[in-house]
Amino acid sequence: MRVNLFSAWHNSAMTVMAGIALALALWFGLGWIILEANWAVVPTLGGRIIIGQYNIEAACPGQNCFWRPQAALLLVTALLGMAWAVAGGGVTKRIALVVGGVAAAFAFLPYGLDRMGLDVRLLLLANLPALAVGWALARYTRLGSASWIAILSVLAFILTLVLLRGIPGVPLLHPVSVIYWGGLMLNLLLAIAGIALSFPVGIVLALGRRSRLQIVKLMCIVFIETFRGVPLITLLFMSQVLVPLAFPENFPQNSLVRAAIVITLFSSAYMAENIRGGLQSLHPGQVEAARALGLPGWQTTLFISLPQAIRNVIPPIVGQFISLFKDTSLVYIIGMLDVVEISRAFIQGNPEYLANAKELFIFLALVFWVFTYGMSYVSRRVEQHLGVGER
Amino acid sequence: MATILRNLTYQGIPIWRNIFVIQWASQILSGVLVVVLVSWFFVNIGNAIQERDIPYGFSFLSRAYQTPIGQHFLDYKSSDSFLYAFVVAATNTIVVSIVGVILATVLGIIVGISRMSGNWIMSKVALVYIEFFRNVPLLLHLFFWFYIVLALPPVRQGYVIAQRLYINNGGVSFPWPSPTNSGLAGTWIVAAVAAVIIGWVIRRWLARRERDTGVASYPLAVGCAAAVAVGAAAWLILSVAGGAAPFVISQPEPHGTFGRIAGGFTVPGGLIALLIGLVTYTSSFIAEIVRAGVQSVGRGQTEAARAVGLSAMSTLRDITFPQALRVIVPPLISQCLNLTKNSSLAGAIGYSDLTNVAKTMTQTAPAVSIFILIMAAYLAMSLTFSLIGNLYNRHSRFTAN
Repeated sequence: MRVNLFSAWHNSAMTVMAGIALALALWFGLGWIILEANWAVVPTLGGRIIIGQYNIEAACPGQNCFWRPQAALLLVTALLGMAWAVAGGGVTKRIALVVGGVAAAFAFLPYGLDRMGLDVRLLLLANLPALAVGWALARYTRLGSASWIAILSVLAFILTLVLLRGIPGVPLLHPVSVIYWGGLMLNLLLAIAGIALSFPVGIVLALGRRSRLQIVKLMCIVFIETFRGVPLITLLFMSQVLVPLAFPENFPQNSLVRAAIVITLFSSAYMAENIRGGLQSLHPGQVEAARALGLPGWQTTLFISLPQAIRNVIPPIVGQFISLFKDTSLVYIIGMLDVVEISRAFIQGNPEYLANAKELFIFLALVFWVFTYGMSYVSRRVEQHLGVGER
Repeated sequence: MATILRNLTYQGIPIWRNIFVIQWASQILSGVLVVVLVSWFFVNIGNAIQERDIPYGFSFLSRAYQTPIGQHFLDYKSSDSFLYAFVVAATNTIVVSIVGVILATVLGIIVGISRMSGNWIMSKVALVYIEFFRNVPLLLHLFFWFYIVLALPPVRQGYVIAQRLYINNGGVSFPWPSPTNSGLAGTWIVAAVAAVIIGWVIRRWLARRERDTGVASYPLAVGCAAAVAVGAAAWLILSVAGGAAPFVISQPEPHGTFGRIAGGFTVPGGLIALLIGLVTYTSSFIAEIVRAGVQSVGRGQTEAARAVGLSAMSTLRDITFPQALRVIVPPLISQCLNLTKNSSLAGAIGYSDLTNVAKTMTQTAPAVSIFILIMAAYLAMSLTFSLIGNLYNRHSRFTAN
């Protein structure tokens, strides 16, 4: 205490000043949060924060489509339950319990039944049994292995997309155009697709840039530098105007797929540079030893260089994942209503809430913060698990 | 050629197993594939442009743009050409970038050093600042500040501080030097730049003398004094010659029936929100870079400096920080480039930056041509930043001695 705060006169002065400033900030900040701030704007926006315009009348005529994103959430919790059973505790267990618990807790939000029906609440509560089912499935069947979970995750993602998009002709799965997808659901879908795809693309680009094959190297450099040199928002806007021109006029266009591809390519250019840094930090002796043992080039890369290189650069890679997640809010430029844009549009359309815009944006900042902090927390745990910096 | 012949006539390994042939064949194949795909893309766009009668070419650049631009630092009227409007928009982006880079660097260094402070409160406050600001999308930062500015009272009920500073939903107005009619303002600016250069030269000369001879020469103080003296002398001479001072301080004042603020300098609300958002967001990244850089300097350096009796402040300023710069500057430059690119979000809060104006331009001019222009503009900016980075790297490389 003394060493930390009052070791010398200037340190004491700094402590006192910082303490006073902090106390004032807390006093007025908490006072504002509790007394002055009008948080009613958040529940007024309500479910639109999560799914955007997905279940408005134009998107889903004559029925309530809220159950479809919720069913997708059940798939996620079931998968988390499986992961928990396979990992056997630790951070996976904690994440599974938090996601399942928070989803179920939403069922008890103090809305009237007209705003959040019994079906919605029951589906939210079903997250807990889903967690248990996933856990039991992994525990007592042959599905309980990491590779099965990976396969099932891909299947679940595709199933989610089909579920959300709908199938023409099937009564309960009325097709919902992607222009109505929105809210946090859209951010998460784009982020998951972007992360899953930009990682392998980034690895290929990084290897290409370090390749001895001159033409390949040149192509990778041009790609990486072009995509790193231009703002994502410009690329998104260009994709909106240019890409449709490259296809026949009656070719089905999908702004969501286009956004996902652009975000993936943009992010993979940054990912490639991170992974290249990791590859450069490796001692050349590793590759030489592997080659001396007789491993062919591709095995050396796949089993010797890449695992060590990636382990060395986990923080910047996760930083790039986080930045990708934050960048999904830029899809407003192509007219998609993600969680930030739908809030802005709401404020714009309801001027009586203009003075409460800051409450809404603070709330959204907390939502984003929970996700990004969760990501960096997991990355720190993974690093500890792999013993980075210890061997 | 000889190599190819040898490789092809050598009978030991069949051609399809020859590593030389495989490598070049795969390279050429992939190269051709990429070229074909890219050209297919652009040829299709070209065809579509012709078939659907979409205008193309660069002849629009000399046409009048006919659209107002919200804020502009260069003089602009709607009858100006597209090319000039593009330059105006690019200037808007560059101004925001330069001001933002300077402020973000200063704030980032302060926060980064507080983060390493031995003082528990300072270090935790800095930690919360960093963790919160960099984990939230920039767009949210911008909207948050923008709606705070929008929610400020209108001009007539706005805040006035000491009759000098006007804060309202139109922006912030403060006193600002404005040139007088004597027409010598430009001359004085040239003289002031010359004064700064003279002061700099004197400082260098005195610093070298102090280093070589040990005579105490106070280089910084004398250099500053020389610069101020030359500047003041130029001011006096120009005032006498022109009959009036080259600049007077123009005060902001409410004007007309709506109480619009005239005089002084007004920073519009959108620009303020943009700058606060960009600076706080980027500075949280810079703070982490600064911390990593300073921590990369060996602990022995700090201990040795403290052992010879330097204070903690002096150790940081003269020993650790200069050495840390080698590690800090490359990622710092890439953050500055990020800030420049992130300023393209300005359109969301109504500031006329390059991307925003270009987006409006696509409604009346060929989109493809405009995309080529903005790609070129942003690539030029990022190349400038990497050039600065490379120059610094060359300058700061460990040399053999």
